[in-house]
Amino acid sequence: TNSAKNVAKIAAGAVVCVESEIRGEVTIGARTVVHPKARIIAEAGPIVIGEGNLIEEQALIINSYPENIAPDSEGVEPKTMTIGINNVFEVGCMSQALKIGDNNVIESKADLGRNMILTSGCIIGACCQVNTCEVIPENTVIFGSGCQRRVQTERPQPQTLQLDFLMKILPNYHHMKKTVKTTSAVTPAKN
Amino acid sequence: MASLLQPDRVLYLVHGEKKIRSSLSTLYFCRYCSELRSLECVSHEVDSHYCPSCLENMPSAEAKLKKNRCANCFDCPCCMHTLSTRATNIPAPLPDDPSKTAMKKAYYLACGFCRWTSRDVGMADKSVASGGWQEPDNPHTQRINKLIEYYQQLAQREKLERDRKKLARRRPYMPLAFSQHTIHVVEKYGLGTRLQRQRPGAPITSLAGLSLKEGEDQKEINIEPAQALDEVEPLPEDYYTRPINLPEVTSLRQRLLQPDFQPAGASQLHPKHKHLLIKRSLRCRKCEHNLSKPEFNPTSIKFKIQLVAVSYIPEVRIMSIPNLRFQKECQVLLTLTNPVESITHVTLVGCEEGDPEDINSTAKVMVPTKELVLAGKDAAADYDELAEPQDFQDDPDVVAFRKSNKIGFFIKVVPQREEDGDVTVSFKIRHDFRNLAAPIRPSEEDDAPTEAIWLTHHVELSLGPLVA
Repeated sequence: TNSAKNVAKIAAGAVVCVESEIRGEVTIGARTVVHPKARIIAEAGPIVIGEGNLIEEQALIINSYPENIAPDSEGVEPKTMTIGINNVFEVGCMSQALKIGDNNVIESKADLGRNMILTSGCIIGACCQVNTCEVIPENTVIFGSGCQRRVQTERPQPQTLQLDFLMKILPNYHHMKKTVKTTSAVTPAKN
Repeated sequence: MASLLQPDRVLYLVHGEKKIRSSLSTLYFCRYCSELRSLECVSHEVDSHYCPSCLENMPSAEAKLKKNRCANCFDCPCCMHTLSTRATNIPAPLPDDPSKTAMKKAYYLACGFCRWTSRDVGMADKSVASGGWQEPDNPHTQRINKLIEYYQQLAQREKLERDRKKLARRRPYMPLAFSQHTIHVVEKYGLGTRLQRQRPGAPITSLAGLSLKEGEDQKEINIEPAQALDEVEPLPEDYYTRPINLPEVTSLRQRLLQPDFQPAGASQLHPKHKHLLIKRSLRCRKCEHNLSKPEFNPTSIKFKIQLVAVSYIPEVRIMSIPNLRFQKECQVLLTLTNPVESITHVTLVGCEEGDPEDINSTAKVMVPTKELVLAGKDAAADYDELAEPQDFQDDPDVVAFRKSNKIGFFIKVVPQREEDGDVTVSFKIRHDFRNLAAPIRPSEEDDAPTEAIWLTHHVELSLGPLVA
């Protein structure tokens, strides 16, 4: 039904501010923090966001229709956008990539195209526009005005300290969206 | 229209060895010669060395010893950004009791831009925040040092012989360092300048140097010539078949910034110490006075001596341009600003036919014939509400507006060429200049120290393209 589609499923333990704009069928995992003015828009399909992610102000995660397809044309299957765990979407970034793995950092004002697939440990530098059709190998850093690349030896650390801090402080100053208990597929049998 | 205020719109001509046209903001004014000077007709001297990231001053001798590198700061070998020191807590066994572990701080270098860390090249974390990091040694250092010593000795010998020949011709009161020829020879092989003022009556320094040198010359340095090898190490067998690991290959820039090793692999890129920057002072070549002398402190951007042209010469700026049409008379509004505190009288004169300085103009210009009077710059004018309004009789056809030390005036432009490109006009601006510097020769009569001299500058304006 339409109404079920428009309600975001926010897991318990996630901190999502009311001022953030979440449209469409969006699932947000536990321990994820969504700042006010962040936008998560699921137009052309649902978005599933994992745990421990940090989505900062004015970040835009959008599952939009590809440019050559009109929104109302039929035969277009909705593709799900999956985002893994421990990712950081810094202020002002825009991500349209359909598949993002774990422990990635998308720095401020970076721009990811729809056909990118980030594996894990990747860092897309500030203001880098990457719009190629490829799988970025693990631990790649894209930086600089020419989008130079290099591979780092260790993945970026998960921002646990920052997440804990925000989960304590944000509720003091903002209203939070209501969380929904996600029903797990296997319920442990209890006596 | 901010594009009208761009610096390359209004160019002033500098009379030097080369005729240079550049904007007034980049020029200097020697008030002893009463002439404009550009960067190419002054001599540049190094004033002080400093590190751009830690802003630490370094005396020149120390800088030379450290090869112009800072001792504390490092550059990222990957993106040449400044490296920052980060700390982590690692468990380490206590020195007293090996079974217990305590948290100790370990420091590593990291780049905030490309996320390079010192652990990428295998550099171990250090236990001190600064001073623990060493650059790897160049295996050829000894040979290079020996070669440098040998060539320095050779250069000194050559210099003395040349000085011996030129002795008769050189004027005795000219300081050694400023003779252009000597500077050239001294910088060969990096000997460094030795400023030796010649005292009148003492034997001429170079001769004195000669006698000293002959005594010291006993330790002559001999070097072995380099030997050519017949056999070269062969390439590895899989050189053509091994797939390239692209992230591991260093770029040319990364490689050449480390001339000692020039590593081909990114895992051998070690950080280098940061290069020092210099503060320079400028000196007029004709009268040897300083035109620009910065302060010694690296954190200060002020100048001890700052003889820039914008504080002495009235500045012409373009205020508005109408549509320029081929062979139609258009009126352009210019402004003239007076930088000094006294009243300045400015006359504009068009360039005559066949003027050798007038090479770029593509339009005829009619400048106002009357003299323009500019009020002095009054710093307190903004705050003084009871100031009397200035009473200059302005011809409204010539002067559009007047505001404290600035006036706007009209010139008429008739573009003469129909081609693409900017319409350029030029004219001469003649103004009076009061030299407040101490007179070089004290006058016997009681001359008014503020006697005005008239200066003329050739100005070129670029007015933009023609409108069809």
